[in-house]
Amino acid sequence: MKQRVIKKKSEKIAAYVFILPAVVLLFAFLILPALSTVRYAFTDYNIMRPDQISFNGLENFIDLFSDKDFFKATWNTIYFTLIVVPFQTALALGLALLISSRRKGVSIFRAAYFSPQVTSMVVIAILWTVLYNPNPDTGLLNAFLVKLGFSANGFLNDPKTAMNSIIFMSAWQGAGYQMMIFLAGLQGIPTEQYEAASIDGAGKLKQFLYVTLPGLKNIIKYVIMITMIQAMKLFTQPYVMTKGGPQDSTRTLVYYIYEQGFQSRNFGYACAIAAVFFVIVVAMSLSMKRLIDNE
Amino acid sequence: MSQKQGKILGNVAFYLGNTIIALIFVSPLIWMISASLKPESGIFKGMNSLSTFLPTGASLSNYLAVFERINMWKFIGNSLFYVIIIIVLDLIVNSLCGYALAKFEFKGRGILLTLIISLMVFPMEAIMLPLYKIVADLGWTNEWASLIVPFIAKCFSIYMFRQFFLDVPNELLEAASIDGCGPIKTFFKIVMPISGTVYATVFILDFVSHWNDFMWPLLVVTGEEKRTIQLAIQTFFGSQPIQYGPIMASLVISAVPMLVMFILLQKQYVEGIASTGIKG
Amino acid sequence: MKKQVVCTLLAASMAATLLSGCGKSSKKEGSSDGVQKISIWSPTDEPAIEEWWVKKIEEFNKAHEGKIELSREAIVRADSYAYEDKINAALTSNDLPDILYVDGPNVANYAANGIITPITDFFSEEDMNDFVDSIKVQGTYNDELYALGATESSVALFYNKDMTDAAGIKVPDKLEDAWTWSEFKEVAKKLTKDGVVGTNIIMDQGEGLPYVLEQFWISNGTDFVSEDGAKADGYVNSEAGIEAATFLKSLIEEGYANIDPIQKEFHNGKAATMLGGAWEVATLTNEYPDMNWGVTYFPVSDKTGTHVSPTGDWAACVTKDCENADAAKEVMNFLLSKDNVTSYAKAIAKLPTRASSYETLTEYDTYPRSLFKEQSLETGHPRPRTPSYTVLSPGFSEAMMNIFTGVDVKEALDELAADFDEDYEKNYAK
Repeated sequence: MKQRVIKKKSEKIAAYVFILPAVVLLFAFLILPALSTVRYAFTDYNIMRPDQISFNGLENFIDLFSDKDFFKATWNTIYFTLIVVPFQTALALGLALLISSRRKGVSIFRAAYFSPQVTSMVVIAILWTVLYNPNPDTGLLNAFLVKLGFSANGFLNDPKTAMNSIIFMSAWQGAGYQMMIFLAGLQGIPTEQYEAASIDGAGKLKQFLYVTLPGLKNIIKYVIMITMIQAMKLFTQPYVMTKGGPQDSTRTLVYYIYEQGFQSRNFGYACAIAAVFFVIVVAMSLSMKRLIDNE
Repeated sequence: MSQKQGKILGNVAFYLGNTIIALIFVSPLIWMISASLKPESGIFKGMNSLSTFLPTGASLSNYLAVFERINMWKFIGNSLFYVIIIIVLDLIVNSLCGYALAKFEFKGRGILLTLIISLMVFPMEAIMLPLYKIVADLGWTNEWASLIVPFIAKCFSIYMFRQFFLDVPNELLEAASIDGCGPIKTFFKIVMPISGTVYATVFILDFVSHWNDFMWPLLVVTGEEKRTIQLAIQTFFGSQPIQYGPIMASLVISAVPMLVMFILLQKQYVEGIASTGIKG
Repeated sequence: MKKQVVCTLLAASMAATLLSGCGKSSKKEGSSDGVQKISIWSPTDEPAIEEWWVKKIEEFNKAHEGKIELSREAIVRADSYAYEDKINAALTSNDLPDILYVDGPNVANYAANGIITPITDFFSEEDMNDFVDSIKVQGTYNDELYALGATESSVALFYNKDMTDAAGIKVPDKLEDAWTWSEFKEVAKKLTKDGVVGTNIIMDQGEGLPYVLEQFWISNGTDFVSEDGAKADGYVNSEAGIEAATFLKSLIEEGYANIDPIQKEFHNGKAATMLGGAWEVATLTNEYPDMNWGVTYFPVSDKTGTHVSPTGDWAACVTKDCENADAAKEVMNFLLSKDNVTSYAKAIAKLPTRASSYETLTEYDTYPRSLFKEQSLETGHPRPRTPSYTVLSPGFSEAMMNIFTGVDVKEALDELAADFDEDYEKNYAK
């Protein structure tokens, strides 16, 4: 890691001035509530009775370790992350490469690939639920499958395919966002490097492997990191499309936190899930960071 | 095959390929627009064929219904107001912090960075209630502050700024320092102007996420005075039977500012990159 | 250097904003001038209802000038969960209004948790006798009345007349002739063809499922939970309950209903029949004028022949944060007066909860609305009154979805019963 060291005293003070507003705000509106969440994890807080909260020690955590829904949700979250991160990153990079050339009309395509990002999740969920409809008479995708001679697929209504259907849709919806970041990165790679490689007789594939990928190293790390973090927090899709079903196949940890805390009113228990979730994700992202920093 | 033929072929492949993929990506947008123009009875018709994307029997009646039923302009104005304030403050506060993390050496930097990366993952769903309590204790419920202040500092933005500032060449900063610029002047005069790209990116991402805020405004805002556009749209889902025509029309209306902003800023974004002269 | 000052100021001002609000309580102002302030929260609604509120509040405030000042905030309901999330948040800092509208099946939960207070003595005996049983039962918990509303709902079987005629099916037009489940299934089978399914089961993954489907349990001689709302084991998963779920499963398994019906499947001619709410009458009449449809009674169990139909609607409660019960009583009596129940029901095009309102609302004397009136008065049954409904409702939706995707009926219902009993035991058993 290349980092400049500024030693002058006035600049040291400047550093604290620079971070102060952010640190104060983060403390008040993120760290404090997060600490409350951890505190509530050791209580029997029922959301309907905020004036009758009592400390119940490790009871929530003990319950948690015999809760099969919790383990299923943990697995679902990890599965979703492991699949969607490489898939979505590759898709985003592919899209960025597709439109990185200096041709007319590129900005139209760029806007098109970004457009799922500006479309409300409500519309996307309604539309994809309809596209995924298991009945070939009413579902567009199944209508195609049947025309091509395959049998109809249950998609969101089959526990075996529901999560994969959500993964596919999420990658499609989210790739435009990462594509923008890759585009910025691609433009940062000096054209001379490509020219040099081309003179050395490198084909497109070799140019990609030896110029593009190394040039994007930092960006790829960053994109993997943020995609992973968003993936771990998956909530809206199961909330809008499947309510965690069928047969628990799309219940993620964050959805389970919401379900337990708000719908079932067990806020203390939900906080315990959140605390465990937090530990899992921090461990994962820190080891991930170490892994990609050390190559 | 001559070079010219090759070039033409390349162009054809480029435009054809991109057009097909682009169509797949914009299909929900097209469906939404087309549905917003159809009469209620036509929206879910023919879902098993591509004709569902065509606006058969198009009219603007759904749009008229939206503006007749609710005070849409006011709600758009409300959302624009608080989202823009969040973004402006976010850009200042978080870029300062990200810059310090990227370029200054100070005690606690490592811890702060680790903390910021860890906190990025804390889901809103888990802190929503304690956060509400804090905001309510401050007496901010139903005030603009409740919509704005908690969301200015963002770990995600800080991290993003830091990643981009890491690539600002140190020679540039040293040169400024030799010229007698203090750290603050250097930041505002040298670093900020060449970082249009990251500012534009954070602007876009922030706008999209806050424009679509639903859960938090629902909790802190009561009544029409400060109702946001997403809350307003949800009013159409409330009463049975659900009328999808006005819903689609209001969703199109809500997508317009995001599209406009994106189209405007993507130029900034590209120019920002072109003008920086940052290499590698 | 100037910029440095700006930054420091910025930081300082932010810290100051943070601290300035501390200690300030958001509690409502007292009534210094002797005027009692009463606030209402109710869901946002159609323009006709929003207008009704404006008009009525004005009317009330005029009549009570100098004594009571009434105000109402419209809360975005979205799905009903969003409205509840709002209440849950408000609870943490005593931000509740004086009068709160809640969805029928949640009354018991709010009452058991002390969020709403009894209103048993708010209304005269004459008034109480005028209200239909279903709305009174819905609002009662532990023998105290907690909630009362102006409107009721009902669900019956809509059918596509062109399709039933073409198949030569005679549809019952008297309550006692209502189709039994096996007749209903036979009809669905006959009507399933050419990409059209025989019937539409509400599959909203939400409150709609328990709302419509509980009747299959009741008609078969059981219910979701015991009468006192304390136990689900032996009820929802009883023999009769398993039969009901198995019957519903068979409709989907044999292809007479879709597991994931498209929106407005019946309206678009993709389903020949539908268990739909009274509100669909207006939709079908206004939006689908070319459609030839009819409506018949809710099907009954072969075994018992018990007639029963869903009811339930939003109702008004008085919250624990209300400091002036007399003023609240005055407001409740106003909102639920004979005239106001009638005008509200008319504005929202729903069934009124006062029998006397039907004297004015003559549209309920003729078919198809008369059928809903008949069901509401004769066979209506509210959802279970239990504080653990918050577990029952999402749990039932989930269990049915699991059953429809292949999980063993008994296994799914046993799990639901266990979850319910655990929640009740933990939170409400004394």
